[in-house]
Amino acid sequence: MAAGAQSASLDDVSTRPGRDTIVSSIVRWTFISLSLLFLAALLFAPLATVFVMAFEKGWRAYVHSFADPDTAAAIRLTLITALVVVPLNTVFGLAASWAIAKFEFRGKSFLITLIDLPLAISPVISGMVYVLLFGLHGWFGVWLQEHDISVIFALPGIILATMFVTFPYVARELIPLMQQLGNDEEEAAITLGAGGWITFFRVTLPKVRWGLVYGVILCNARAMGEFGAVSVVSGHIRGLTNTMPLHIEILYNEYNFVGAFAVASLLTLLAVATLVVKTLVERTGYRRR
Amino acid sequence: MAAIKQPSVLPGFGLTFGFTTFFLSAVVLIPLAALVLMAASMTWHDFVRVVFSARAMGSYRLSFGASFLAASINLVFGFIIAWTLVRYEFPGRKLIDALIDMPFALPTAVSGIALTTVFAENGWIGQYLQPLGIKVAYTWIGVTVALTLIGLPFAVRSVQPALLEVQRDLEDAAETLGAGRLYVFRRIILPTVLPALLTGFTLAFARAVGEYGSVIFIAGNLPMKTEITPLLIVIRLEEFDYKGAAALGFVMLVISFVVLLMINLLQAWGRRRIVAGAR
Amino acid sequence: MSITLDQVTKRYQGLPVVNDVSLDIGDGEFFVLLGPSGSGKSTLLRAIAGLAGVDHGRIALHGRDVTHVSAKERGVGLVFQNYALFRHMTVADNIEFALRVRRMKGAERRQRRQELLRLVSLEGMDERLPAQLSGGQQQRVAVARALAHKPEVLLLDEPFGALDAKIREELRRTIRQVQRELGITTVLVTHDQEEAFALADRIGVMNLGRLLELGKPQELYARPATRFVATFLGAANLILARQTRDGIRFGKTAVNASAAGPLQGSRDHEVVAVVRPEEIEIAPTREDLASGYLTRGAVEEIVFTGALERMRIRIEDGQEAAPLSNGNGNGSAFLEVTRTQHEQRAFQISNGQHVAIGVRRIHILPTPLSSFTTCATTESLAEALVQQPLLAELASRMKTRISTRVEPKLGMPGANCEGAPEFSGTTVIAAHSEVVYQAQWLLKMGAEEILVLPQNASPPQRVLIHWADEAVRRATLAVSASILRHVSAEAIYIGILPQQTPAAQRPHGMRALLDARSEAQAVHGLEMRTELRFGDVSHELARQLGELAGQMLILGIRGHADLPERFGSLFAESRWPVLIVHRQHDSPAGQAGQAYQAGQA
Repeated sequence: MAAGAQSASLDDVSTRPGRDTIVSSIVRWTFISLSLLFLAALLFAPLATVFVMAFEKGWRAYVHSFADPDTAAAIRLTLITALVVVPLNTVFGLAASWAIAKFEFRGKSFLITLIDLPLAISPVISGMVYVLLFGLHGWFGVWLQEHDISVIFALPGIILATMFVTFPYVARELIPLMQQLGNDEEEAAITLGAGGWITFFRVTLPKVRWGLVYGVILCNARAMGEFGAVSVVSGHIRGLTNTMPLHIEILYNEYNFVGAFAVASLLTLLAVATLVVKTLVERTGYRRR
Repeated sequence: MAAIKQPSVLPGFGLTFGFTTFFLSAVVLIPLAALVLMAASMTWHDFVRVVFSARAMGSYRLSFGASFLAASINLVFGFIIAWTLVRYEFPGRKLIDALIDMPFALPTAVSGIALTTVFAENGWIGQYLQPLGIKVAYTWIGVTVALTLIGLPFAVRSVQPALLEVQRDLEDAAETLGAGRLYVFRRIILPTVLPALLTGFTLAFARAVGEYGSVIFIAGNLPMKTEITPLLIVIRLEEFDYKGAAALGFVMLVISFVVLLMINLLQAWGRRRIVAGAR
Repeated sequence: MSITLDQVTKRYQGLPVVNDVSLDIGDGEFFVLLGPSGSGKSTLLRAIAGLAGVDHGRIALHGRDVTHVSAKERGVGLVFQNYALFRHMTVADNIEFALRVRRMKGAERRQRRQELLRLVSLEGMDERLPAQLSGGQQQRVAVARALAHKPEVLLLDEPFGALDAKIREELRRTIRQVQRELGITTVLVTHDQEEAFALADRIGVMNLGRLLELGKPQELYARPATRFVATFLGAANLILARQTRDGIRFGKTAVNASAAGPLQGSRDHEVVAVVRPEEIEIAPTREDLASGYLTRGAVEEIVFTGALERMRIRIEDGQEAAPLSNGNGNGSAFLEVTRTQHEQRAFQISNGQHVAIGVRRIHILPTPLSSFTTCATTESLAEALVQQPLLAELASRMKTRISTRVEPKLGMPGANCEGAPEFSGTTVIAAHSEVVYQAQWLLKMGAEEILVLPQNASPPQRVLIHWADEAVRRATLAVSASILRHVSAEAIYIGILPQQTPAAQRPHGMRALLDARSEAQAVHGLEMRTELRFGDVSHELARQLGELAGQMLILGIRGHADLPERFGSLFAESRWPVLIVHRQHDSPAGQAGQAYQAGQA
């Protein structure tokens, strides 16, 4: 959050005359302890557990768990999915924010609502819609079977479901940012003789780069970690259609806790990395609204 | 395209608008329409039978009850945490501020297995609750705990900016006018952040209702008792009962829309109050 | 001509933000578009740059019609109010942007960049990022960037808006210098009249989307044609006066002030006089005044502003000399006065002191509409008319006053008026079925403009213009132009030929119509539509007025004897406001004798 402005005002308040009373310190410490206790139980303990469980049987067992070919396959599948989904959604986010922030047209706010829609929908439904379309008893199930194309319980289904879930992330970062930054620089570029593409690549893209990074890392984190939607379309075929989160479930249900938490630790590190990048981006002056 | 006017001199409207609507339709709208169509292809009688079956009703009770409870907990603790982060300086404040987004970035399967381990009978916290007769894992309490974790960032991040704003001018003004601290809190701070609090509550609730990954590990998944609605949908799909799944999905979709509408209204209300206050 | 605008109109949500602007800007000219915010000046500039399309009209740069040419191809240099520097690029990259786009070679680019940096005195700043520069330096970079591709036209949109006074002055000098050195045609948009005076070869003043006047700074300041320009360009006291054969009279005192402007019309009439605060002289007694005596007053407020002393003086005798308004917009019995240090030393003044007031120079506005007088048979009826929305709105927009006049025998045949013998300004009467006889009576008493006001009429959306006699064309057009400067309505001239007009004479009617239109455009800057009708004049006008709500009629007539017979039916319904313009002889000088140049080449 707005760290700089925040600490300035904190300073301001704490040095005011009449502020330093016993009651206010009691209130203060009550608030801090309550917050910390709540977070400790709900957030810190589970985070710590991930690593404690992963290393329960020692460093070697941890490393060894990645030697499992199914685990390796799950990691590979997750990376492939993210590699397809994130660029597609990035291109979409750029196109949508350009159309929405740079032009006036009727139905604009409706379009924004539609783009945000996947955020409000349960991941299970996000996966299910594709099953209803392409599954064996779905609208196109028979046709797909006749032509020997598999979407559900295969890579295309996983990619589609992930795309649905992570669809809005880049766009909703860029739309408000572009609207806020205005069109002056683009108009300046045009009066200086630049065409559309030059303006986009040399002016707009650098201008919104931090927002773009922000959106992309959130999109990526969500794409790699998605469970519900992918679970519905994947079919849980070991070594073939299991992404990392699905693989965690299988290992966990087989009581292979070291294996499950080892994979979980990777995803936790991904989340930590995401938060680090996010914090760094915020430090450049780009802020979460 | 006649309804579209283009006052800007910047190029690329056709290309970007076309791509946006195409991609949106292909990825989101058409699949959603497939769901609605599937649900609509059922007879009314069948639809009612599926949607109001005892098992479905039991799952709604758990899903909505636990989500409401979780969102309420987040309402209280979200405010306390946001207040602490905004008002007080203490070691590690910045780190904790950054970690608030963790449940959002952490894959749900990870938080699911981690929470289950912590709250299991022999887990770090579960072992202390066990003697008190409180069983968390594999009960509705566990479901609530998981949903609380999922909703936490939404609650905190909604309130935080509002609190940051209110401090500056209004509160200072009230203080110079001679108001006491509790009075300022009750009459100035609370009313000002109320829209943000409610928005946070609604966002947390919306997220919790649809949550799947983190819940299925900690819930016992017993029909009628600890089975959430999204899980019931998955079970129906695995039984190849697409219509039954679509009907339940349709119900959840409608509820999502209602909640989305509420969020928009709440935010509009908050904006209006801010604008009106600025006049 | 470097920039030619021809009847440029730009609407936003149906409302014109730029309304029919025609303008020629010469090669190497420094032209300033001046106006309050929302006057449409920035929109006009963006239209020239190609950043905003126009709904009507043509734009040409150096004789090339660019109305439909994209901003990219127009090759103008535009400087934005908020600089719009590319914040991720260094100063060098910013300046070279246009050159890179044009694929200029690296060495040439560097050379050109050095030239430009020298021009705006920013040598050595090449590798800085915009964020590392002060506001003034950023704007210099923006100017250099806009000039990089050697545009033929430089456009500046409020370039000093975000800067403080000191830097503003410095940058102003730089821009003037750059402009001189390059001889580049420049258009600058601002709301600051001081800035406009300091920079402009010529100023165009805009308000409500219309280009009101244009001219050299000194000319506009000394001889404004409209109330708006008089009060917007510096402070001004607007005072109602009478113009007679012997000169200007304020109430009972005749003023022998210089440069009073040409006498308009043949007979006495009320005019609006502009007296600049610095043209007012104050002295202990009337005898000590070196200039023409105006009135006496008491000093109410003195403000020291450095070089000048500003004061407000309450007028004590001769209510006729009360100003309508001054630059501050407070219409009252106050005169705004400024004095130099030199004058202050000669005559020390303190608050509350009584002084004699003289005027050194008066400018008469060439507007035919001065003030309004409501006239009725009783005081309360006259008072009620003052409250009517259309009248109140018009008077406030024209910054003029409304007085009342009671004529118990109003409209009685054979009766004489009981008030003062002359009727000043526009006389306003309430519409009712017999109003035409009152109007006739007033015309007989010497009133020249009569506004017949129905109950609760609001400012019109359309103004219909018709004159019953070619001799009053000029006067009617002048009044119409004056009205339309203060209401945003469209003007339609209705020409009417008798039903039995032989076909051979019809082209003649058409020609009269076109003549009227071009005169309105050329002399008064008034754009109007024209319609030709056949039939009875009164009937046709009534039909047109009845078609749509929110219309007003301006009717020019000569002679009043047959008013009830010819136009009685127009007034009988009392549904629309009618402004009667009556002249016995057409005024030879013309109301627009005072350089209204908008629209002329």
